Amino acid sequence: MKKSILLNFIFVFALVVQAFAQGRTVTGNVTDQATGQGLPGVSIQVKGTTTGTATDIDGNFSVSVPSENTTLVFRAIGYQAVERAVGTSSTINVVLAVNAQQLNEVVVTAQGIERDVRSLGYATQSVQGEAISQRSEPNVLNALQGKVAGVNITGASGAPGASTNINIRGITSFNGSNQPLIVVDGIIFSNDVDNSQNTLFGSQPSNRLADINPESIESINILKGPAASVLYGSRASAGVIVITTKSGRGMKGKTEVTFNSSVNFQNIAYLPKFQNEYGQGTQNNYVNNSTASWGPRFGTPGFDNVTTVWGESVPYRAYPDNIKDFYQTGKFLMNSLNIAGGDENTNFSTALSSTLQEGVVRESGFNRHSVQVGGNSKLNNGLKVGGTITYVKTSQEGATMGNGGSAFGQITRVPRSFNLMGMDHIDDITGRSIYFLAPTQNHPLWSLENEFFESNVDRVFGNLSVGYDLADWLNVTYRVTADTYSDTRRQVLRIGAARAPQGQIDEDLRTRSELNGDLLITARKNDIFTEGLNASLLLGQNINQRSRKESGVIAESLTVPGGFDNVSSGTVFTGSYENNFRRRLLGHYGQLSLDYKSYLFLELSARVDKSSTLPAGNNAYFYPSAAVSFVPTEAFNFESDILSYAKVRANAARVGRDAPEYQLQSVFSRATYGNNLASVSFPLAVGGNIPGFQIGSRIGSPNLKPEFVTSYEGGFNLGFFNNRIGVDFTYFHSTSTNQIFNVAISNASGYDTRTTNIGEMRNKGIELQLSGTPIRTSDFEWDIMVNFTRIRNKVISISEGVDNSNITGDSFIGIAPSIAVGYPYGVIIGTANARNDAGELLVNGATGAFVPGVAGEVISNPQKDYIAGITNTFTYKGLSLSALFDINKGGQIYSFSQVDMRQAGQTDVTGVDRDQPRILPGVIANADGTFRPNNIQVSSQAYWTNLGGLASEAAVFDATAYRLREVALNYALPASLISRTPFGGVSLGVSGRNLLLYAPGFPSDPEINTQGAGNIQGMDMNGIPTTRNYGINLRVTF
Amino acid sequence: MKFSLIKKHIVLGVTLALSASLVSCNDFLDINETPNNPLAVPPSTLLPTGLVGSAFANANELNRFTSAIMSVTAGVAGSPVAYDRYNTNGADFGNQWRFELYGGALVNYQQLIDAAERVNSPAYTGIAKIMKAYTFSIATDVWGDVPYSEALLGEENTQPALDSQRDIYLGNEAEGIQSLFDLVREGIADLDKASATRPGSDDLVYGGTLANWKKAGNTLLLKFAMQISVVEPAVARDVINAVVQANNYIVANDENLAVKFGSVVGSQNPIHTYTNVSSFRTDQMISTRFVSLLQGLNDPRLDLFVTKPTGSFVTIDNGFGGTAPVYANRSLYNTYVTGPSTAAGSAPVRLLTNWQRAFILAEAVIRLGVAGDAQALFTEGIRASMTAAGVTPAAIDAYFAANPTVVTLAGTPEQQIQQIITQKYISMFGNGLEQWNDWRRTGYPTLAPHQNAVGIDGTRPVRAQYIDQEVARNPNFPNNVYSNVPVWWDVN
Repeated sequence: MKKSILLNFIFVFALVVQAFAQGRTVTGNVTDQATGQGLPGVSIQVKGTTTGTATDIDGNFSVSVPSENTTLVFRAIGYQAVERAVGTSSTINVVLAVNAQQLNEVVVTAQGIERDVRSLGYATQSVQGEAISQRSEPNVLNALQGKVAGVNITGASGAPGASTNINIRGITSFNGSNQPLIVVDGIIFSNDVDNSQNTLFGSQPSNRLADINPESIESINILKGPAASVLYGSRASAGVIVITTKSGRGMKGKTEVTFNSSVNFQNIAYLPKFQNEYGQGTQNNYVNNSTASWGPRFGTPGFDNVTTVWGESVPYRAYPDNIKDFYQTGKFLMNSLNIAGGDENTNFSTALSSTLQEGVVRESGFNRHSVQVGGNSKLNNGLKVGGTITYVKTSQEGATMGNGGSAFGQITRVPRSFNLMGMDHIDDITGRSIYFLAPTQNHPLWSLENEFFESNVDRVFGNLSVGYDLADWLNVTYRVTADTYSDTRRQVLRIGAARAPQGQIDEDLRTRSELNGDLLITARKNDIFTEGLNASLLLGQNINQRSRKESGVIAESLTVPGGFDNVSSGTVFTGSYENNFRRRLLGHYGQLSLDYKSYLFLELSARVDKSSTLPAGNNAYFYPSAAVSFVPTEAFNFESDILSYAKVRANAARVGRDAPEYQLQSVFSRATYGNNLASVSFPLAVGGNIPGFQIGSRIGSPNLKPEFVTSYEGGFNLGFFNNRIGVDFTYFHSTSTNQIFNVAISNASGYDTRTTNIGEMRNKGIELQLSGTPIRTSDFEWDIMVNFTRIRNKVISISEGVDNSNITGDSFIGIAPSIAVGYPYGVIIGTANARNDAGELLVNGATGAFVPGVAGEVISNPQKDYIAGITNTFTYKGLSLSALFDINKGGQIYSFSQVDMRQAGQTDVTGVDRDQPRILPGVIANADGTFRPNNIQVSSQAYWTNLGGLASEAAVFDATAYRLREVALNYALPASLISRTPFGGVSLGVSGRNLLLYAPGFPSDPEINTQGAGNIQGMDMNGIPTTRNYGINLRVTF
Repeated sequence: MKFSLIKKHIVLGVTLALSASLVSCNDFLDINETPNNPLAVPPSTLLPTGLVGSAFANANELNRFTSAIMSVTAGVAGSPVAYDRYNTNGADFGNQWRFELYGGALVNYQQLIDAAERVNSPAYTGIAKIMKAYTFSIATDVWGDVPYSEALLGEENTQPALDSQRDIYLGNEAEGIQSLFDLVREGIADLDKASATRPGSDDLVYGGTLANWKKAGNTLLLKFAMQISVVEPAVARDVINAVVQANNYIVANDENLAVKFGSVVGSQNPIHTYTNVSSFRTDQMISTRFVSLLQGLNDPRLDLFVTKPTGSFVTIDNGFGGTAPVYANRSLYNTYVTGPSTAAGSAPVRLLTNWQRAFILAEAVIRLGVAGDAQALFTEGIRASMTAAGVTPAAIDAYFAANPTVVTLAGTPEQQIQQIITQKYISMFGNGLEQWNDWRRTGYPTLAPHQNAVGIDGTRPVRAQYIDQEVARNPNFPNNVYSNVPVWWDVN
């Protein structure tokens, strides 16, 4: 039996052998319960002494025992400890079972290094493939929601393929990407979201982890802090998600074929509750072109029938489902086939997968097909060669969103008595929309059919590594990884679209590619200086290049009506564009790991990066980290069934981060003026085409320096009752300094921002994981897993004289996602209601409405108070049921959709006591400076309208959500049933997601962000609500 | 043997890779010059940018605002409804301040001056200085005290101080503030210098005819002088006398300082776009009051200024709170402002016109005692405006014959000024900013309060409130200067 040096390193924990002068010898063999094979490196200790030994490579041992009353304790990492009384026997054979709690597991850390969890001085968390597969969720990130402490995951909308934001341990950069680095089988994997449109008005493109099929994943390990990720360099400062796909490792000579299939359905999940008592109109009058529901109550005498804008007499009644029926039942079908096999020296895998999705929004969908091949081999000449290559084709079609001129900007403005779905919406002759509610807008269905976004991604990623053991303690490996894709997009606004009445087609090609070359030299020595002190040293070098290109032809003023969506239909092409980006980085890194008797560990890491994006004098930066961990249960031989495992850990680290490309200079660009009110773009067609350039609004900085995050982390792991209860606690504290930021400056300077190093931001937080097995019998097991995260983020300073500054990105004027001193990252600055010193709302004594608001105030904070996820898993024989309940406590959401519907009298709250007068909360100022409670009665309509509109505090809602996130029921057919079939295993399951929601502060589902993945969060600018998914799953192995 | 060879190669390879990376890394990393954007551009690409910026500043949102409060248009939806009721606050006009004025036309005129100086081209610096002065006058006329001498300096001054409107117009030697007059004069002087490059079609106003730019510069001096004529009559008189004596100013409609626009999407006059194209087209329509004024004067320009899709004028009163007529029936800006139907959107934005000059001089004769024939200038102004609107000479003659009291100055000097400004108001249709400037300075034309007026104290705004974003970013800006506080030159 041959094991790799790595495994030896991990498993050889021979304790000090101090043979007693007297006594007798007991021999035996330790085997793995699952495989029946001998287990090397099992520690065997004479209970109550420090005497002991360890098994050899085949699992055999020989130990001297003082007497017949001796008890031997067998321990191995990843296995449950076993005690045996020696008695009179001279041979003891022991079978060790894998520890179900997995407190002692091997995880993949930075640069693919596999490590024993107990040796880590930092927190990581693993999620096994089973926890995310067959969950009625095509997106890996969404499937991780609620399952990992310290990680905040928010889907952007219910649109198929919509992006998902993920932040690990909060936001650490003012302007840089705060999305973690994604590594798939060693390949740095782009999870970028390319927004080709203004995020206030566009569709929702995917972030590209959507190209990974959840069924292909063997495990995901999350490296949370800088100490864990320092070897990956700058880009890992927001954490790392290391994904390992099924590779056929450990197949021990057999080949396994796995087929997964699922059929899933989705519905729009949580529309607000509507009132169905009052119809179209205002101030209790029927007004046939009104978009509000402040009309007369249904059944009011004289209002049996009303005349519409188009002159038809129709019954005046509610259409309770006029919004619900706008959506459809979505479906998705996921199939995948995995073939994996191999032996100790060679393994291979191949996988095919297909996902076909039709969204809940008509005309929307997401399709993904992938094929993967990979393998590893140790050649006869000693070279180790491995590689994988994957091709993915992903297509997405989605609707245009946003305030005003989109289906979702109109769907909030449909009166309750308007038969939205029951009327023609297309003019047969012109193909244009028929929509009587708003002459400059379109019927929402017409918008879905004629204003859309398509994306077609072809992606190839793969790696190749060649390694060689120069000596039994020294290995050299070179690894090349590549990830490249093209995204062919088309944004179509057909003739008549509200945002481009003469039509517009943006035919857009985007490419991205990333190449990495890593040289890794690994040296390992055991028993250096003193017995039991083992060391390993890693030296590495990384060459990285990232490039992307975006080029598009924008055809405007289209000539051919109907469905001819080709740029040749256009007559004006001045919006066409081309942008190229390229950056390089050269890194050198090293890591020294020391392990003393497998209870004391020290790891020192350092990296130097040289980046192309920083000025030549400032482009090299160094950052170190140190981590220690100590396992007292191992060191002091705690012999308690109560406390079976304890580990404490601490680390300190600093990570540098470079700038985006091309930030050092001020540049010119093709000139444009205006917005959706009126606009021009150069070249201007006046006689000939007159070109025009303008100076950019950003002042470049030739003196830019890298930004840094410094972090400290401490924590402990405890296992009780043979690890049936596990506790993993972490406290972290990080400080971000020297932030590379486009800081706002007075526009009178001629510019809007200047790029510079400024500011300081702090994150403090705790992560807690609790695991427990309240019941375990031979047939039945109940496991509980709890994750809890609480992070406090605070902007400490920006720059002198600047108290707040906009976050880079699209925003409406007066609703600005910002950094503000003393507040968490990403607060929204807008117009707050005026208040007196006591904090009471001020009301105008004449009108009963609020007095004018105060601009420039922090009105919304998207940062959550805490996040918790609780997973209960029940297993009975082949039947397992797991349910994830999660809590997102606190945080606020700025919602156009909800305030729009409330202000227009559509939602249920506006129907309550509609005919009764109301009084706005607040006080009225008396002449003498005192205040009296507001007692001015206003109508319901005035009340809900005066409460505030789109650009007001009234659009801010509490985003707290208690949710039954996921339920999965799975049944594995008993072996006896399938023994005569060719199947090795068959399991059937049903799963559901987003099944129940309690959101006390929000009329719908607050898990929405129309800005997509990125630094701007907590915005619902007329987006697509979330979905509820159900599915049936089948898994067959051969 | 075989193994050791492999080892040797690997060791060699590793050594080479490491050393290569250390040696060549400077070239390897030297790729941060952007391929997407030029670091410098020729003056010919900056001049049209500046000109269109000034045209947008005049004709886009600020025109929606001023035409509404000047009772020319009435609000139906969105911001114009607020303006129509005198409501404006610091959330308004951020785009104008940022993208059209300081970060639009002004910073690009500054870039143009720098670029033209590098290639020894005073022809460009001259135009840039005249237009920079024009555009700064928009900023100060709308907001009063604004950054001027410390503005546009980029990183050198990220929080520029405000200069008083008086210092902006008149200069302040002690503070190193150049007056708008001197900035224009410096520009005119540049136009006489030898120039290595000269504008051609990139000059969206005069197609490169520098002689016209000199006339425009001198006419701009007249406009500035008249703007401060109430508060600084002596200065105004001196400036106007000097320009009149030099006798080189706009005297023909084809010498108007008017920025050309095109008829295709993306090249069109903004008033056309927000009146006829964009989803904001339903926000405003022509006010009943403006139509009534012209009907009362039998003015032949009315049909040329205002559409009547139904065959008669369909308008609403200012501040009207009821249900507006459907869009298709509404009276809107006609082709004079938006461009002919065969080339929709191609109407120029008229920044400084022949009739404006004539009315300024007519007023100067009466108000300041400048030499000249006020009546002749008054009728010249009306005739020039009517001609520009498309009234035939015969029809103009007929109008003059039939409406002698309208076209003849009579009464006290103040009454004559009222006549002049009322006609100037009509002739400036589509340029609400200048209508507002004159109304604030003179109180004419006499405008009745709007229905449902709110504002700060129920009165028509006499300035715009400083931009919230600018107040937040620049501590030099005072807070709470509301729209009811007059600017320096507005003393009555």
